[in-house]
Amino acid sequence: MIRSAQRLNSPHPGSGHIAICPDIELAMTKELVRVQSGVPGLDTILCGGLVKGAAYIVQGSPGAGKTILANQIAFNQTRDGGRALYVTLLAESHDRLFQALSMFDFYDPSAVGRDLFYISLFKVLREEGLAALVNALRSELARHHCTTLVLDGLLIAKDKAESALDVKTFVAELQSHTAFTGCTVLFLTSAPIDDVSPEHTMVDGVIQLKEELVGIRTVRQLRISKSRGSAALGGLHQYRISETGIDVYPRLEALLGTPSSEEWLRDERIATGVHGLEQLIGGGLPPAAVTLLMGPAGSGKTTFGLNFLSLATPEKPALYFGFYESPQRLKAKGRALGIDLEALERAGALIILWNPMTENLLDSLGHQLLDTVRQRRVHRLFIDGMTGFERAAVYPARLSEFYTALTNELRALGVSSVATLEMRDLNGLAGTDPLPEFTSLMDNLVLLRQAGMHGELRRFIGVVKMRDSAFDTAFHNVVIGPGGLQVANRLIIPGDTVDKDAGIASPSVQAPSGA
Amino acid sequence: MATVVVIDDETMNADALAFLLTAEGLEVRTAADGEAGLRLISDLRPDVIVTDFMMPIMTGLDLARAVRADASHANSKIPIILFTAAQAEIGRSHPDLFDVVFEKPCSPKEIVAAVLRLAKQQRNT
Repeated sequence: MIRSAQRLNSPHPGSGHIAICPDIELAMTKELVRVQSGVPGLDTILCGGLVKGAAYIVQGSPGAGKTILANQIAFNQTRDGGRALYVTLLAESHDRLFQALSMFDFYDPSAVGRDLFYISLFKVLREEGLAALVNALRSELARHHCTTLVLDGLLIAKDKAESALDVKTFVAELQSHTAFTGCTVLFLTSAPIDDVSPEHTMVDGVIQLKEELVGIRTVRQLRISKSRGSAALGGLHQYRISETGIDVYPRLEALLGTPSSEEWLRDERIATGVHGLEQLIGGGLPPAAVTLLMGPAGSGKTTFGLNFLSLATPEKPALYFGFYESPQRLKAKGRALGIDLEALERAGALIILWNPMTENLLDSLGHQLLDTVRQRRVHRLFIDGMTGFERAAVYPARLSEFYTALTNELRALGVSSVATLEMRDLNGLAGTDPLPEFTSLMDNLVLLRQAGMHGELRRFIGVVKMRDSAFDTAFHNVVIGPGGLQVANRLIIPGDTVDKDAGIASPSVQAPSGA
Repeated sequence: MATVVVIDDETMNADALAFLLTAEGLEVRTAADGEAGLRLISDLRPDVIVTDFMMPIMTGLDLARAVRADASHANSKIPIILFTAAQAEIGRSHPDLFDVVFEKPCSPKEIVAAVLRLAKQQRNT
């Protein structure tokens, strides 16, 4: 598929989301014709795709996925009616390559030899040199009418060169031929590329694949370190290799520096589904707001979420985005509370996404969440809980920016979101300050607490912040039973001492405040 | 001594097979593309040809067609073995061009045995 690109598709096809490249770069890309790589997320990072007729270096250490990336792109070109030439110099044999590729969904054996041609030109290089290699490549490209060329082994070609000028000449000659014929070139190399490498100075773009250990886990990240005449999302972007090939996850805060659309500000209240809560918060949650439920394990956070989800309808569906309970356990919990999640799911009112808290990728989670919200037109979202994002963050320092981008986009999409945050403790009511970064990021802050009082475990709810709303700041008892969570009477604790230690606000109404 | 021409752009594959065939007492010459292979065939009139499919300049299919279409008929009857990683089906659908088709990877013993068998047949005709 070839198109002129000013706007970007969603990082993952099918989501229908449109994001726009940074305005500052737009003018540069106006006239460029793009070729879709077919690698989810990569075209977004490239601000529309590979540039037709441009030459790219794909650099990465062995095992980083260069060959997979190049073949995924090549097979995608053949699906779109193009033809590709894959040339090896001194690499694994083609039969080994096909064996490895056959594990991926994109591999189509019927295209091999018909639209995608694998040849070795090592003998030409070794016996006749770089100039002969250029001629052989020109002949083969013409013979097969190719629109894409992959040269696997730039380092080998470079070894044959006697000077930096030889390397530059080789790249330039090939580049001028392919640019003229509209053939996009990928040079694969494992050699580290620095800014002054002769090949680096000649090509139009450099795609770096990086695999590194962070603690004891492997993290793969992609970076566009050069993109001549075209914008690209800077920095590192995580990618994953699976049976579908490579999936790249554009860093959420880089892609959504500003939300994709204007925030909705409707004059209505959103019911929480928690009986008795509405009267404490002015009739319901403000629309398209993000509410953080904070509290220790067992305080009723997930139950609150199930109440919230129970109001979903097929017309206004809800998404459960969880890390803890599996779908089966979640439904069992719902059954125990009299909330029929299975019926909601069957009716198309509820989508359940569960990502066990193992080795997740932060941006993969963010995109999965937002893509689902967009595709299914989700109105209610329950995230259980924020710790799932924290544990997936390889660089925790970026979490504030990530949350900012995520919550801004959710507001822009008109979603009413409730997220949980497990807090340590707390056998009591003290220590109610939320984490500083959440105070300003979230529209609403609600505390769920529990304490042993008079020989029994009591649960409480308290509203700390409610955007643009008057709300009751007093703690109230909550009861978990049939129907889920219910707000009962205002908490009354005999004796000033306990009251003071607990830091409970006097029963009062907080004046409306901005977000 | 029977002569074999092995044509494969992956020259290390060709060299490995040539080594095994030489050990069996055959004379082996290699080429890295179809055009060079045709020249060798014309010069040597080998007893057996082993060719890859996807190669520079011409495919193994084009090479086999060129051999079979030899106007002098001198080479048109030379047995041809297709030794390919991804085009075995195409080879099998052209029994008029390829006497035997092997799909890479395969047992070296099998392909050596096939070359020896065809070389013997060719010598006896």
